[in-house]
Amino acid sequence: MTTESPAPPEVTPPGDMQTAGAAASKSKRKRVPYLLLLPGGLWLIMFYLIPMIQLAGVSLQEGSFEAGYEFTWAWRNYTDAFAAFGGHFVRSILYAGTATLLALLIGYPLAYGIAFRGGRYRNLLLILVLMPFLTPFLLRTLAWKVILADSGWVVGVLQSIGIIAENGRLLATGWAVVAGITYNFLAFMTLPIYVSLEKIDPSLIEAAQDLYSNPRTAFRKVTLPLSRAGIVAGTLLTLIPASGDFVNAQLLGNPRQLMIGNVIDSRFLRIVDYPTAAALSFTLMVAILLIVIPYVRAVGTEDLVA
Amino acid sequence: MPEPETRDQAGGSREPLAVALSGVTKRFGEVVAVDDITLEIGENRFYALLGPSGCGKTTTLRMIGGFEDPDSGSIRLHGEDVTGLKPYQRPVNTVFQSYALFPHLNIFENVAFGLRRKKVPSVEVTQRVREMLDLVQLVGMEKRKPGQLSGGQRQRVALARALINHPRVLLLDEPLGALDLKLRKEMQIELKRIQNEVGITFVHVTHDQEEAMTMADTIAVMNEGRIERLGGPTEIYEDPRSAFVAGFLGASNLMEGRIEGSGVALEDGSAISLPADRLAGYDAQVHIGVRPEKMSLTAPETVPAGVNSIGATVVDVSFIGVSTHYLLRTSWGADLVVVVQNLDDERHAAGSSVAATWQSQHTFVVS
Repeated sequence: MTTESPAPPEVTPPGDMQTAGAAASKSKRKRVPYLLLLPGGLWLIMFYLIPMIQLAGVSLQEGSFEAGYEFTWAWRNYTDAFAAFGGHFVRSILYAGTATLLALLIGYPLAYGIAFRGGRYRNLLLILVLMPFLTPFLLRTLAWKVILADSGWVVGVLQSIGIIAENGRLLATGWAVVAGITYNFLAFMTLPIYVSLEKIDPSLIEAAQDLYSNPRTAFRKVTLPLSRAGIVAGTLLTLIPASGDFVNAQLLGNPRQLMIGNVIDSRFLRIVDYPTAAALSFTLMVAILLIVIPYVRAVGTEDLVA
Repeated sequence: MPEPETRDQAGGSREPLAVALSGVTKRFGEVVAVDDITLEIGENRFYALLGPSGCGKTTTLRMIGGFEDPDSGSIRLHGEDVTGLKPYQRPVNTVFQSYALFPHLNIFENVAFGLRRKKVPSVEVTQRVREMLDLVQLVGMEKRKPGQLSGGQRQRVALARALINHPRVLLLDEPLGALDLKLRKEMQIELKRIQNEVGITFVHVTHDQEEAMTMADTIAVMNEGRIERLGGPTEIYEDPRSAFVAGFLGASNLMEGRIEGSGVALEDGSAISLPADRLAGYDAQVHIGVRPEKMSLTAPETVPAGVNSIGATVVDVSFIGVSTHYLLRTSWGADLVVVVQNLDDERHAAGSSVAATWQSQHTFVVS
């Protein structure tokens, strides 16, 4: 801020100190934005940056829990971890990606329906979307164990219409894990899309129809581009945590469907192999960034709002 | 003053009708928004639907555009029945009240939107967009987003986006409502110029009687879902025919009287003469009206012959600058407002007795 503006009275010293006071208040003004950033910045440093550096350090250590770990620039941890658990990585990305796509296919029409057809029931419908979150994550996932059980009606129906084999099952398959993830992250997909759809002025859609767009073209040319920000936010909020999820694979899958989250979980807490766990965490983070950055650049939201 | 004949639906007219509504009714639940309207709009007209909010004017416009379907009645555009057709199937375009420009597209693509949907070749699109931006004086703004334009510029983009499609009829829904007074005046003239230039029928919805009278050559005054009065601006101002229209189009002095011979006798017995056809269809009791600016004031003893006059007492005088407003009270206690141009120095002080006089053709009758 370079414009000369009157200093607040409490910082203006009397008499010949006037100019010094103005200068002091000017520099104080300059500091204000940084002061406002301080609490959030401290939070990030304390609970994000420092643990990250620590984790990076651990990922390059060698040794064992009993003998203690030592920092040795052990890059080998990364290659070893990837060699051993590469399949888990691929599976995690695949499951999380499929679940994100399914959540988008379910969440977009859901958000669209609430935003444009919800009328006075809009808020009620939104609460219904959020309702499952009132029960704990673990219980919700366990409930899916019942829904997808071999003797359950879902399996029965799918068997009778021939989608799965006579003796086929859902539980302990990749589809069960994907279904669980989709369900658990659906609200994270639906809500941002709803917010972006809800902001669209209905007269824009009328204008598109007035300019010779049938409802499908109007959707493609106006509604969809204007809800892009919501789609980007929703897919990121689903894809990123879903890639690291381990609860769904553990409860709805079998050992063959374990995801990278399960491996990290057991390395940290059961096998107590901190360096491998840390190396896996870092690799996962980098992998997600490598997917997300091109995605955000391709569908980027920066030029959406003029 | 001779009245220009601007009625476009006069029988025997050979002009093709741009828009014809017949017996159109629209209900929203219990509310009858548009009540059995029959309306004919000629080719190349600037037509205004004027009325207070909730009078059904916007609903009427939306039915012409295809955004609402009438519950009964039919809508024809250039003789072709379009009732029930979707907006994108109709040869009309709309300038929306809030402009409804696409925020994610730049000005060029906003204007080109309709042509793109019609798969017009890209070279032609470029050329027509340039012509259109030239017409609305927005050349050089192609790359901007709607959010970077001022209200008046957005208004022009909305107009260009609709006109580029060469619609048979252009619908304008309170297009100037969001602009400030000065800009509104400019755009009124601008719109009129553009209408002259493109020669397309404009149907313009507004609640601003001055706007309607400035731009339109035919005005339909609407009230409670019906058309109360239809005609050219001068015609409906001079002879509004209903108290609602008289009040909506400006101030007027309404007085009760009874028919006597070919004129009307007021409560104090003064005989008022008026054009004979204005009394057709009335018997005994009537209300007559006179616009405040049509009256002039003289001393009671110098009333010229051949004009209507009422004796009254001046209650209040306010000097406005261009004119002086007098509040008068008649002998039977009715209030009259008279607006006098400040042409001479003659002033009538409060408390003095005066005669309010006016030409007989300035008397109208309201139901």
